[in-house]
Amino acid sequence: MHDFLTILPLLIIVFGAVVLMLLAAFEKVSLTTAAGISMGFFAAAFAAQLLAGCGPQRLVFEEIFNGMLVAGNFTMVAALVIFACGFFSTTSSHTYFQVNRFDGLEFYSLLLFAAAGMVLLTMAAELITAFIALEVMSLAIYVLVGYDRNRVTATEALLKYLMLGAFAGAFFAMGTALLYGAAGSTHFTAIATVAASEAGSPLLLGGAFLLFVALLFKVAAFPFHAWVIDVYDGAAAPVTGFMATALKAAVFTLFANILAIHGALHQGWVEILFYLAVFTMFAGNLIAIGQNSLKRMLAASGIVHTGYLLVGLVAISADTFTGAVIGYYLAAYAAGTLGIFAALSYLGGEGEKRATFADFRGLARVRPYSAAAITIFLLSMAGIPPTAGFMGKFYIITSAIEAGQIALAVLAVVSSILSMWYYLRLIVAMYFQPAEETFATTGSPWAGVGTIALAVSVFAIGLYPIIV
Amino acid sequence: MFAEWLFTAFALLSILGAIGLILFRHPMHGAMSLVVTMVSLAGLYALLSARLIFVLQLIVYAGAIMSLILFIIMFLNIQTRDLPEEKGRILYLLGGIVLLVPVASFLIKVVKSLPATEATIVGSGFGGVKEVGLVLFQDWLLPFEIVSLLLLVALIGAVVLAGKRRFVK
Repeated sequence: MHDFLTILPLLIIVFGAVVLMLLAAFEKVSLTTAAGISMGFFAAAFAAQLLAGCGPQRLVFEEIFNGMLVAGNFTMVAALVIFACGFFSTTSSHTYFQVNRFDGLEFYSLLLFAAAGMVLLTMAAELITAFIALEVMSLAIYVLVGYDRNRVTATEALLKYLMLGAFAGAFFAMGTALLYGAAGSTHFTAIATVAASEAGSPLLLGGAFLLFVALLFKVAAFPFHAWVIDVYDGAAAPVTGFMATALKAAVFTLFANILAIHGALHQGWVEILFYLAVFTMFAGNLIAIGQNSLKRMLAASGIVHTGYLLVGLVAISADTFTGAVIGYYLAAYAAGTLGIFAALSYLGGEGEKRATFADFRGLARVRPYSAAAITIFLLSMAGIPPTAGFMGKFYIITSAIEAGQIALAVLAVVSSILSMWYYLRLIVAMYFQPAEETFATTGSPWAGVGTIALAVSVFAIGLYPIIV
Repeated sequence: MFAEWLFTAFALLSILGAIGLILFRHPMHGAMSLVVTMVSLAGLYALLSARLIFVLQLIVYAGAIMSLILFIIMFLNIQTRDLPEEKGRILYLLGGIVLLVPVASFLIKVVKSLPATEATIVGSGFGGVKEVGLVLFQDWLLPFEIVSLLLLVALIGAVVLAGKRRFVK
């Protein structure tokens, strides 16, 4: 019975996706209804996940699923983050689509399917399951990215992401094949046994290498980060928000789960992950400083946040792995990023005409509340107390110090200070420059409500560890 | 010994087919080249005594999917003059090869370090419909179930991206 409760949130999401898919065939269903249903399912899944609770990691339906699904506190947090991302992406999309008319009911269905793939990915304890879940998630996201068929940048983003994503999928499959050769099984437990007995086995090394290439591509880490700017820029603002947060949460959960299967495996990759983290942070910062478009800047800052999460991965210890630090950072990062993309969804206007730093000049004079909310999100991403972003970075950096990675901790702080430049640049533009336009917005207030809720949750997540 | 020769031949053919797929300019030639890869993969599966997969590879991939691809290419009636100019593709290819050399040499090292193993004789039912079915529905039930999700998403995606769009209120 308890096993059923554990996968109930996943079942709710899949059921919702199928319901929305069927509803898309009826003419009478309006976009608002579909968005409402989508929000309802995300909220229900969130509530179910919260109520079902969890505990230490254990296998779900061990007999029937042959030990291919695990659930625990870490997967629960990841699922909560994904469901919340889906919920707020839906509110943003609803407002966005009233101005940018390329909607369709299938949009929400695909959003739910993507979330289902992500949750499966976090729970996977076996590589083939993980691969299929990864592809479910990726396929849905590809379609969401290219949803606006009339915009050339969206099509370009779709094509780039699809081609490179297919490459990453091939790397994943090849890595799985080599790991199967090493362990004779694709279960994480079997791979852990091999990692313990013969850590330097070439098959294990090659398999893990190819697997990590695929995962690093998905999270846009250093040598594989080039696609992210164009893809995030080409996708619609709510989709970009969803990609930047939920997708990263899902893939990083899998990444941490794989690294944590055995200490020897983690040890072998610490040094490489160290350099990857450093290069990711600084490459992201350099790219972000040069951008004029807000979405491109946020895409680049997403690379920087990937770098911090890699710092978190370097610092985990496979023996006492709980994922608490990474889960917390994912939640904190998701709140800030989703918030700013929600704000962009309703302030962007038709065809996202307000896109650059200059377009947001003087926003504080005309719309003080929107400007205040954006400021909160930017400060959280920059890591200013008492926001969630500060606590997230605090935990990441202290965990790095505890793991003995002092240099990495220092570099993370330096990168965090560098990132102030482009976050503050928008705040300066909003507050200290005269307004040139009225920032009139049309459409439903849902994104606005979502923005306020996220601004509150930035503080709530930030204060949660202090209060509890 | 004979099996090893067969393996080498099929492996070479499949790689040549894949290279042809990339290098041929006309999509029809590329598709024909892909058929070579598909058929030689079927040969490799047969060498592994994977009977069911061998048949499926021939019927589904080399047969159904390839004829669908050919049908679409013919349907679109692509001529050489419709194809875009590809300037400097040799340079891109060379650049890609240079980038891939370290990865490839690493993988070759991995493959070379494999210990030699004796071929074992598999049981009489190995790779048959019944045996694959038993493994698929007992040990691999979860992947089998979530593949249905994957196919559903692909279906919806194709409709959304290519179908006629009806705008709702």
